[in-house]
Amino acid sequence: MTSHELPHPIRQTPFFTKGTIVLAILAGLGVAAYLYRMIAGLEASTNLNDQYPWGIWIAIDVATGVALAAGGFTTAALADIFHKERYHVIVRPALLTAMLGYTFVVIGLLADLGRYYNVWHPMLPSMWQGDSVLFEVGICVMIYLTVLYIEFLPIVVERFKGRVNLPGILGIFNDLIESFLTIADRTLGRFISLFIIAGVVLSCLHQSSLGTLMLIAPTKMHPLWYTSISPLLFLLSAIAVGFPMVMFESILASKSFKLKPETSVLASLARYVPVLLGVYCAIKVVDLAMRDAWGYVFDGSFESIMWLIEMVGGILIPMILLSSEKFRNSVRWLFVSSALVIVLGVALNRINVFLVAYTPLYPDGVYIPSIFEVMVTVGLISGLVLVYRLLVMNFPIISGEESGPDRGRRLTKTPIAQEVRQGN
Amino acid sequence: MKRILLTCLVLGALTLMLAPLTSLGQRPMSAHPELDHVDLDCSSCHSCEEPTIQEPCLKACPRHAAMQKTGQHQLSEAPDTIMLAEIADQFQPVRFNHKLHAEMAEMGQDCATCHHYSPEDEIPPCKECHGGEANPTNLRQPSLKGAYHRQCLSCHREWSHDTKCVVCHLPAEGSGVVAMGYDSTDIIGISHPVITEPEKKVYHTPYEEGPVVTFYHKEHIELFDLRCVDCHQEENCSYCHDLQKPAQLAKSQEEVHAMCNNCHLNDACSKCHDTKERPGFTHASTGWELGRYHQGLDCRACHPTGKRISRLSNDCVACHGGWNQENFDHAVTGLRLDELHQMMECEDCHVDLQFTQTPDCTGCHDDGRTAEFAPPGDWINE
Amino acid sequence: MAINRRNFFKLAAAGSTALAVGKAHADDSGLTVDCSDNYGVLVDTAVCIGCRRCELACDQEHTKSGRPPESFDDKSVYEKHRRPNKDAFTVVNEFADPAKPDDKYTMKVQCMHCNDPACASACLVGALRKDAAGPVVYEEWRCIGCRYCMVACPFQIPTYEYDKALEPRVRKCTFCYERITEEGQMPACVAICPNEALTFGTRQRLLEVAHYRIKSHPERYVDHVYGEKEAGGTSWMYLAPAEFAHTELPRLDHSAIPTLTETIQHGIFKSFLPPLALYGLLGLIMHSTREKKDRSEESSNHD
Repeated sequence: MTSHELPHPIRQTPFFTKGTIVLAILAGLGVAAYLYRMIAGLEASTNLNDQYPWGIWIAIDVATGVALAAGGFTTAALADIFHKERYHVIVRPALLTAMLGYTFVVIGLLADLGRYYNVWHPMLPSMWQGDSVLFEVGICVMIYLTVLYIEFLPIVVERFKGRVNLPGILGIFNDLIESFLTIADRTLGRFISLFIIAGVVLSCLHQSSLGTLMLIAPTKMHPLWYTSISPLLFLLSAIAVGFPMVMFESILASKSFKLKPETSVLASLARYVPVLLGVYCAIKVVDLAMRDAWGYVFDGSFESIMWLIEMVGGILIPMILLSSEKFRNSVRWLFVSSALVIVLGVALNRINVFLVAYTPLYPDGVYIPSIFEVMVTVGLISGLVLVYRLLVMNFPIISGEESGPDRGRRLTKTPIAQEVRQGN
Repeated sequence: MKRILLTCLVLGALTLMLAPLTSLGQRPMSAHPELDHVDLDCSSCHSCEEPTIQEPCLKACPRHAAMQKTGQHQLSEAPDTIMLAEIADQFQPVRFNHKLHAEMAEMGQDCATCHHYSPEDEIPPCKECHGGEANPTNLRQPSLKGAYHRQCLSCHREWSHDTKCVVCHLPAEGSGVVAMGYDSTDIIGISHPVITEPEKKVYHTPYEEGPVVTFYHKEHIELFDLRCVDCHQEENCSYCHDLQKPAQLAKSQEEVHAMCNNCHLNDACSKCHDTKERPGFTHASTGWELGRYHQGLDCRACHPTGKRISRLSNDCVACHGGWNQENFDHAVTGLRLDELHQMMECEDCHVDLQFTQTPDCTGCHDDGRTAEFAPPGDWINE
Repeated sequence: MAINRRNFFKLAAAGSTALAVGKAHADDSGLTVDCSDNYGVLVDTAVCIGCRRCELACDQEHTKSGRPPESFDDKSVYEKHRRPNKDAFTVVNEFADPAKPDDKYTMKVQCMHCNDPACASACLVGALRKDAAGPVVYEEWRCIGCRYCMVACPFQIPTYEYDKALEPRVRKCTFCYERITEEGQMPACVAICPNEALTFGTRQRLLEVAHYRIKSHPERYVDHVYGEKEAGGTSWMYLAPAEFAHTELPRLDHSAIPTLTETIQHGIFKSFLPPLALYGLLGLIMHSTREKKDRSEESSNHD
């Protein structure tokens, strides 16, 4: 394989396969549930109530979504700031994940907001409320999303500059867009580093602040997760999950597009993961010890079991697995046992903090998400995958080379791939 | 630091802006502006130099000391009944029976049960100290409304568990306040929980000729449509609630008979006294057993005069004077008249309208028939 | 990688500094804000007769739920513990010391109007704010409906109009803001209370009254003014005949609820220095590694 291969649109697979049709159906159901929520309101569509004001739309769509989009900034830091050049092949997929991830976070958030049409209020200086952690998260996410779009612009320029040809009546915008792309091309190169660094700083800020959010409810939070270093833990876990998420996607994409997995890049990337996880795990354990909260770990409650699954399943096991070179070099082990497990582990952590750890003072039953909540969440994830696939097939994002029909064992290039690369 | 300063400035500015809106916004010049007109220094009430909210180091209140020297007041000094009419626009005046309450209070701390300030010369009425509205400068003192309600409700609700306004306040005419269907002049109406009246009471008296008095309590209420207070007049709580029942034990013969004598003053002793227990009331004991039509009637349908049930004539026409052959359906008696007999006047058969006696057929028929063997129609089988 | 680790330590250090500041703040049991001139209400549950007139007055003043006035006479509601909701900003519940189960007493709950309210600290658009007069005021036109205030409230007071698809509001006791600031009146519930179990006044005077009552009737009250110190102090305060643990009022620290989050938040954003420092550091790294990379362009493959 050649890691210097340039990114190119992946064209040789059809957009619709069995899998994508299932995803499209799920996404369609999600859209329907989303519209139902907008028309009928939260009471009809969700199981949220005065005891449980936040449900899976916040815990999964927003909190987990932001955490799993962390690959964008960790990869950018590694490749563009620390200049580990060999990782450049995964920068664009990671950037796309982050961009789409945050976009869908915002879409998911809009479903949860009672007055979604007021979502722009935090941008007005007259509304600023600097004491609010959520304000900081909101502002950072808004700016970071803009930064992500700016970072993505060069890819659009690369694909469409000099080739803008909108169909039909939209053709009148051709010149305008063309000149915009030209200006972007000329200026972006000079300033893109500023945006990349800004992206990393913004990420650090709001990733950690997400961990501060629940600290405002000391009496409602379970002591296993209520710690004043929660922001640090959120940041560390976001950094730790960044690479596994990139690995997860990269392998998934190469399987789906029948590309050869970037095994060596991913294996070498995987070396960082046990270290990052180890730091996260160590701080978590030390913090627990310092707070004298060990008693809660083994009290057999639902919370303690969830905490143990999160710690053992999501951190310790993948840490041990990825410490072994043998496992790191196996695509299957990288994918299933490590990347997937870590991703699920961090997702579980977010769900634990926002849902499991939260006990209302006067509970009146337990919160179980409604069918519509699940439909929207599943629909958003499906939609994200579909849009990801669509963009990868139309923009120069993945630089992998196509493998033969026997799934990445052979190194020969298909004629289509060559054609595509010539086209670039 | 800046934030704190800014907050202080904003809070300060807002306070200044709001201050003119109400006197409460201003900081008091002294700790107790309500005492400004009284000639007191701090040491009159506080034993330490710098009293704080948490540690006010209060001395015994001089007024409390005055209360200890409660003058000996006689019940006769106070009116028997006090009308509380401060909110007459919404409710009828509350009729407060001071005498009754004072008697009840004898079981407690006498006057001090309610009167927390009883100087030697004269006990002032509540409203002399307690104003019509809450006093913003002296939050310790309840307004007249609060003072009254606390006095009444703190005891009343204990046994009634009822706090509805209309229990004491009858709505005034045109006030828009809806009455709740209480009879507030009866005991049960006045916040008393439901009393389960006894079915029957058997008294064993020292009267030798008839030592046993059987009193059917429930029956009496139903027969004579009585309210509690019709008999239990001027009874204080101790009548029922004092376990020792000293009041009952000490009753004189007059007092024992007083309640019955409200109605039975002119009756002979044997009206109540007997040698053994008596059965309860049945209408047959009056000499007239009620038939199937009269059984379902309320007593008052026939005896409308109320408390004193008058003896009625057995003659049907005494009540049913308006019946004639045209509006009376003879079939209800069980005998449907044939067409011929339907045309006849009532008294053609029922001589002198004596319906209880056998009808007479001889007015028309001379064959000696009787209605029993030759009915003037068909018997309706039931 | 080494730099990566250094990065962690730096952040960890920043975090722990923030915590140290937070500790100092939290240990200070004194009130964070001087609210002694704020309006407040003292709820004397030993005087409360549980007549539910306050619920009626509140319903007529605010929620206008359309329940008939007679329905507020129903005492059977005490069989079930109730919480305020969008149609009732205040509810009365019945409690008893388990040692004396027959000595029932009733307690009204509503927004406590904290001196340093967590809901206002949480709200990202300032739709909830502590007014200088005392009330915690909700300005619905600012609200975006995120319901973080509901997460934050240590008394679980804000409720939400989930049933509305458009313009849903956070609903909670307003302390009759207009009545007390503009009309110079008492809150509706205080005005109607027949037994004057509710006393309206400035916080400082109410505390005086509360401690005076405890001192003069030690047999009637437990020696604790709930809300004097809880959660940094509240505008509404309570007296009770038995330990507050028997009631629905939660056991709370004396530090204001938002102390920790605000300390972290302001620690991270102290004059924007930490973010700018991180920005500078990353810029420096980017610059220095690029030079290194340029020099060792060829040999970078073995990394």
